[in-house]
Amino acid sequence: MKLVVAGGFGVGKTTFVGAISDIKPLTTEAAMTSYGESVDNRGDVGTKTTTTVAMDFGRVAVDDAIVLYLFGTPGQDRFGFMWDDLIQGALGAVVLVDSRRIADSFPSIDYFESRSVPFVVAVNRFGGQMFHSVDEVREALSISPGVPVVTTDARGRLAVKETVLNLLDVVLQRAMAKAKTN
Amino acid sequence: MSGAEAEDPHAQMVRPFLHRNLPLQPLSPDSEVPGQGAAVRAYAMTGGRAHTSTQLEFETMMQATAGGREALTAVRFERADILRLCQSEPMSVAELSARLHIPIGVVRVVASDLITDGFLEAFHPSTNVADDVLLITRLIAGVRAL
Repeated sequence: MKLVVAGGFGVGKTTFVGAISDIKPLTTEAAMTSYGESVDNRGDVGTKTTTTVAMDFGRVAVDDAIVLYLFGTPGQDRFGFMWDDLIQGALGAVVLVDSRRIADSFPSIDYFESRSVPFVVAVNRFGGQMFHSVDEVREALSISPGVPVVTTDARGRLAVKETVLNLLDVVLQRAMAKAKTN
Repeated sequence: MSGAEAEDPHAQMVRPFLHRNLPLQPLSPDSEVPGQGAAVRAYAMTGGRAHTSTQLEFETMMQATAGGREALTAVRFERADILRLCQSEPMSVAELSARLHIPIGVVRVVASDLITDGFLEAFHPSTNVADDVLLITRLIAGVRAL
């Protein structure tokens, strides 16, 4: 099973994953080939470029049979294609917010909302400081009322555990609601 | 594919990637893959295929079968590396990619072939995990106990 950890560049995704992971975060690479139009040489099919997209991830053995993976989203926005792969089969996502750069998290929130992926917004307390309140963050990012906005500390195992539980609660509520309608 | 390839039925039978003379670049500037040879091998292995028959997610756990463990001495390169890491306990697609420094797409294709050959088995949940109330409840209890 897996969870996705998203948020702007440098917000603390890998730190967050590392705080709860049994192993030191690993990095997986995906190779992406793109073809560009070659203006000069009309005989060419085009120029081929290979980009590698790196994703940090960690693993937690939850009990003797369940292994939970936490994947950090790739840094740059232009690797959006990789996100579809990442959320495939994911339980949900944590969107980390740096309260000094709130807007950086907007693309992630936008993405998960558009794909109906359960998520929570977690404002990372850098050194205990919060530059904006949870309510201010909620308003600034236009977060739906049903989505929890919490605070966390990406370096703290207990805080990260708490955030993961916040997310799993949302996941459970959704699963139970769906089971009721079936 | 170019027009010439479309006309030549033999060319079409050869995996498109191997047929074309494409410049292969290292996986990344600071990749730990030993030299470009490994990158060439990895892509040659998959023949440029991007789609696999069994969809293997990043977190899909796989393990070598008894047949796979026996075949270990008979397979080479990425097939051997993957089987070796999956011998004693299950390992996910992502971990194989990270530990072996192979792109995740290549792991998916090679693992898929190993599964088809009966050397590797993948563990797929019987239902969509996001809908599994019992499993999620169990997961919550487990995370609480960490």
